[in-house]
Amino acid sequence: MKVKARLNELSFARSGDKGDVSNIGLLAKSREFYEILEKEVTPTRVKNHFGSMVKGEVNIYPMPNIDALELTLSRALGGGATRTLRLDQTGKSMGQALLRMEIEVDEEILKKAKLIEEEIYNRYRNQE
Amino acid sequence: MEKAMKKVRIGSGSAFWGDMLDPAVELAKKGEVSYIGFDHLAELTLAIMQRMRAKDPSKGYIQDIIPWMKAILPISSRNGIKLITNAGGANPEGAAGEVTEIARDLGLAGMKMGIVTGDDIFPRLDEIRAKGWKFKNLDTGEEDIDRIRDRVVAANAYIGADEIRGCLAEGAEVVITGRVSDNALYVGPLMHEFGWNYSDEYWDRIGSAVTVGHIIECAACVTGGISNMWKVSKDPWRIGFPIAEVYENGEAIITKTEGSGGIVNQWTVKEHLVYEIMDPANYLMPDGIADFTSLKLEEIGKDRVKVTNMSGKPRPENLKVCIGYRDGFIGEGHIFFPWPDALAKAQWSQNLVRERFKMLGLEAEELRIDLIGVNVLHGEVAPLPEYDMNEVGLRIVAKTKTREMADMVRRAATHLWTAGPVGASFGVPFAPRPVISLWPTLVPREEVKTQYFIKEV
Repeated sequence: MKVKARLNELSFARSGDKGDVSNIGLLAKSREFYEILEKEVTPTRVKNHFGSMVKGEVNIYPMPNIDALELTLSRALGGGATRTLRLDQTGKSMGQALLRMEIEVDEEILKKAKLIEEEIYNRYRNQE
Repeated sequence: MEKAMKKVRIGSGSAFWGDMLDPAVELAKKGEVSYIGFDHLAELTLAIMQRMRAKDPSKGYIQDIIPWMKAILPISSRNGIKLITNAGGANPEGAAGEVTEIARDLGLAGMKMGIVTGDDIFPRLDEIRAKGWKFKNLDTGEEDIDRIRDRVVAANAYIGADEIRGCLAEGAEVVITGRVSDNALYVGPLMHEFGWNYSDEYWDRIGSAVTVGHIIECAACVTGGISNMWKVSKDPWRIGFPIAEVYENGEAIITKTEGSGGIVNQWTVKEHLVYEIMDPANYLMPDGIADFTSLKLEEIGKDRVKVTNMSGKPRPENLKVCIGYRDGFIGEGHIFFPWPDALAKAQWSQNLVRERFKMLGLEAEELRIDLIGVNVLHGEVAPLPEYDMNEVGLRIVAKTKTREMADMVRRAATHLWTAGPVGASFGVPFAPRPVISLWPTLVPREEVKTQYFIKEV
């Protein structure tokens, strides 16, 4: 059965700025999730998700070598850090905003997602 | 890796103007590095530095260089570590003067300093424009700089590592630059150590250097800072700064100061690989174009990530230039509302402020009223809460042509202190601030005459 999943469940994000372009790196929590993200996270969907916050185009660059997608959102930061009216002048929170986006996945993927995230953190907790 | 292969350990000691000093000192003491790079410049910094220099020609560099050098030079000179810093800002010679005095006080007579100049193309803008180069805006696509020319306050090219290499080859122990790319602070020492040069034989190696520089150049950002690994970062109050152990074959191990806090793992390295890079297959730097889509990461131990298979392409023909120009003012004010009905009070006040601006005739190029605690970060992507919130803030901010109009915005927030809903709590008032907008553009490499000179303490 297909269910809705937030990108937050399948991936981590880190974002920043280059002028007026918001740069978001989306890191899949597993190889399998990367393959899902590569299909489901499209420029059109991302642009719709952000609505009027993104005035320019969205580009998505695959990085299969590290199971990541790089997204660039043009004209998304109010003209750039030094003149923007955004409190978050450099778009550090944009990646987290992307993680709110929903996609459809098989129910089992959602179950797996919880386990995988736990595994990731457990590996580094009290690592010697 | 073969034991005989040459390796260089290089660390990052600062990511921005105002960064932590203690992890840099720890890195110099315990990091067993040969080089430390220090980045103190953001896009706006050069405009601020130019203004400082205009007021006092002996200034215009990052004042932090004084406490930094006082703390680190005694250790670096003892441990044979070379320091490369862009704290020169708009006045690398002025910064070198400060460092000279500090070094003398520390008894380091004879120490060699390298000073890199030529990034400042402000005095030559008109000359280059007259040749037909229009400085097209990379963000907006606007073709010609003429519209804003009379408001320009700074123009600096992001220069590469050429001159840093020159300084190091002449035995400089401290290299002080202006606007080199942050990346070049790391590429310079690596090219110098391994004898890599700008030729077809070495583009993959330079690609490695650019990649490694990118991974460590934001200091704590790859050792558990602004990371998804925050939950498992060890003693984050004493976060360590990163070290790259780079090998002659272009491979590297990313780690951090032994015994420091924080964390380095595949996730922190990936987070930084994807950070502010635009197209990952073409990461454009003045020294070369790195391709981040070929590399492989492997965790080889606690806080150790090996990076292999890095690659690169020839350096671009043009250099990036950041032009700063005066662009009006921003007026801002905040006010906070408590339970009960905090959200409703904020929304009611939002309307009050908008109507009041209309009545007073505010002339704003742009007006924004955000709800702090609700949507100030995620805007329309964030859903409105359906419960009775503890507190909500209102952030009123506008961009205006004049200081007077910006002041009207600031005042409007203060008027809610008495005209707002019950419980309205005022924060600290803001002063209107002048805006320097940036005009990102390119310049042909041959128009930028870089040079270095050596000064002995």
